Amino acid sequence: MDTTRLLRLGELALPGLAVGLIAGAVAGGLAGIVGQPVGWALVSMLALGVPLAILGGGYGLLVAYRKVRIGAFAPVALFWLVGFPLARLTHEVLTYLVLAGEPRLPPDVLGFLAYQGIISAGFAIGFLWLHERIAPRWWQRMAPRNPVAADVYSAYAAYAKQVYEQREARRRSRGRATTQQR
Amino acid sequence: MVDSSKVPVSGAGQPGPDTGKAERVWRAGGLDPMPIRKLPDAPPAIHILGPTVFLVALGVGMGESYMWPRLVLVFGPEIRWLFLIGVTLQAVVMLEMARYAMATGESIFTGAARVFKPLMWFFFAVAILVYVWPGHLSAGAAAFEEITGIPWVLTACIALVLVGVVFTLAKVIYNLLENLLSVLIGVLVVGTAIVASLVGSWGDLSSTLTGMFAFGYFPSEAMSSTWFPIVVGAIAFAGPSGMQQMWYTLHLRDSGAGMGAHVPKIRGLRHAAEQEEMPARGFMFDTEDPEEMKKWKGWRRWVTFDALLLFWGITMLVTVSFTVLAQAAARENPNVASLIEGGDRDAALGAMSDAFASVGGSVLGGVFFGFIALIGLNATLGLFDSFSRGQADMTYFFVPGAKRFKISHIYAFFLWAVIIFGILILNFGPADGPSGVLDILAFLSTFAMGAYCVVLLLVNNKMLPKPIRPKWWANLIIGFGAVFYLGMLFYSLLRFGVVVS
Repeated sequence: MDTTRLLRLGELALPGLAVGLIAGAVAGGLAGIVGQPVGWALVSMLALGVPLAILGGGYGLLVAYRKVRIGAFAPVALFWLVGFPLARLTHEVLTYLVLAGEPRLPPDVLGFLAYQGIISAGFAIGFLWLHERIAPRWWQRMAPRNPVAADVYSAYAAYAKQVYEQREARRRSRGRATTQQR
Repeated sequence: MVDSSKVPVSGAGQPGPDTGKAERVWRAGGLDPMPIRKLPDAPPAIHILGPTVFLVALGVGMGESYMWPRLVLVFGPEIRWLFLIGVTLQAVVMLEMARYAMATGESIFTGAARVFKPLMWFFFAVAILVYVWPGHLSAGAAAFEEITGIPWVLTACIALVLVGVVFTLAKVIYNLLENLLSVLIGVLVVGTAIVASLVGSWGDLSSTLTGMFAFGYFPSEAMSSTWFPIVVGAIAFAGPSGMQQMWYTLHLRDSGAGMGAHVPKIRGLRHAAEQEEMPARGFMFDTEDPEEMKKWKGWRRWVTFDALLLFWGITMLVTVSFTVLAQAAARENPNVASLIEGGDRDAALGAMSDAFASVGGSVLGGVFFGFIALIGLNATLGLFDSFSRGQADMTYFFVPGAKRFKISHIYAFFLWAVIIFGILILNFGPADGPSGVLDILAFLSTFAMGAYCVVLLLVNNKMLPKPIRPKWWANLIIGFGAVFYLGMLFYSLLRFGVVVS
């Protein structure tokens, strides 16, 4: 894969990557900051932030290549049902690795994964919510040089155009109604 | 009161000046008939963002983050079945509120006026009585004080002025608020999910979830004069409380949902000159046209998705997360339940902060207070806008002479009035701490909620054409809501003689 193609993929994945990273960094990272050396805090932050960012970026690619319906909840919920527990498991294992010098699984792995799976539904809603706010605008900016971004943005634009046309039609009908009332 | 139940979908009205033909109208109640217009197409895809963001912002408030976790600490997770009932009831109320607003482009207040004008004035008065108090703001500001040390009164006053300035400068208030709240709620939801995933455990979650289905559980201590009014208030605080559901009809209209598309949006004061004239009444679509009914079904699907996933789902998620945190807090500090029972109202928030801190230290405990502050900010933004929007709507359409002003001016008047009053109360009034004010609001809200269930039944069954009236089961649930809210309120009054805890 050449550099340009990688760059284009990165552009497509960036919004999801950013949402995942920020989510992991804000809450997960702060967990490690207090009373710990800066290096450890950074590791803790990255241990959760990076897996979430990679998965978030992956989801962005699925949307960009139109493998999942834009704005729909079911695919993102399924995606994070698997992804979120894995990210948290990675976080736990890496945390023990840094703290104790050797990797260790959480005590009740199945219970842990089940719990994280349920929490993932909430994370999925928040992720989709933020991604839908950020991604279309970013892809619009990338559209002139990235054909896939242009394609997915055009899907959003088609939707927006439809909404706009409806609004214009209503405005015209409202204008007529006002004239008639006079 | 005019019974419109036997009026045909469209009737003969005033002849149109251009066509010479009689304009088709829908006559409903004592106000002007609604002209028949085309129903716009429903959004092509079920899209995640809609006016429900306001309900979520308003609904996910102190009830979810404070009152219910508090009850769980005192009575155990089984008490949460009442929360499930409360939120599910609210989801159905939301769908029924949307029915009238999307079918007519009118607010539920105008609907109430169509049935019987004093009903609407009742809500006008209740809104002022309940919502001028800055209680919602003081809770968030107090949490902010925990993080920064800045006195909460100062933060609250600055926030009040900022909210006023932002809404005054906004070109179209709805767009600004939807964008702002969307980001804030997105951060809140993602952050809450992650913190709950760090702090909570499978045991906490399963007891919280199974507690939701412990139907009928009601410990004897909850039947005391101390706790019963608090439990009643907490049920009213499950999801959007008080008049928030009524204001949702105004947001639906401004978002252009259904026939709301035929009504202009409210603009900020700075852009009031661009405000289009508001039509004197709403519009109706031809319910005998199969094509129109098909579009109507599309709109109903859209709003049902909003109600179930966004409103019910997010409200449940946040409250389950906070309850899990509360249980973790009880483990950290076993005395917390007795502290709360003893009347230490800030113990719950402090103990939950401890639970965060137990995972990652004091900064994470601070993050918890950050979330409380964020929830307070969301609620403040939503409430101030909604209150002003509701009062402006009723004033503009029903106070004689008010149409001399633009609706933007009236909106700004109510906004700044409530801000100035809030600042005065915070500095000189009986601002006796955050949860004291919230308890009063919770109880007063209950009456308004019982009343709007009755109004909903009347409006949707009398003022809408038959094909789009609610099904019998929806009426049954809303009827149950009226009995539930009012019954609990009056039971509390008669049994304990307590109105406010």
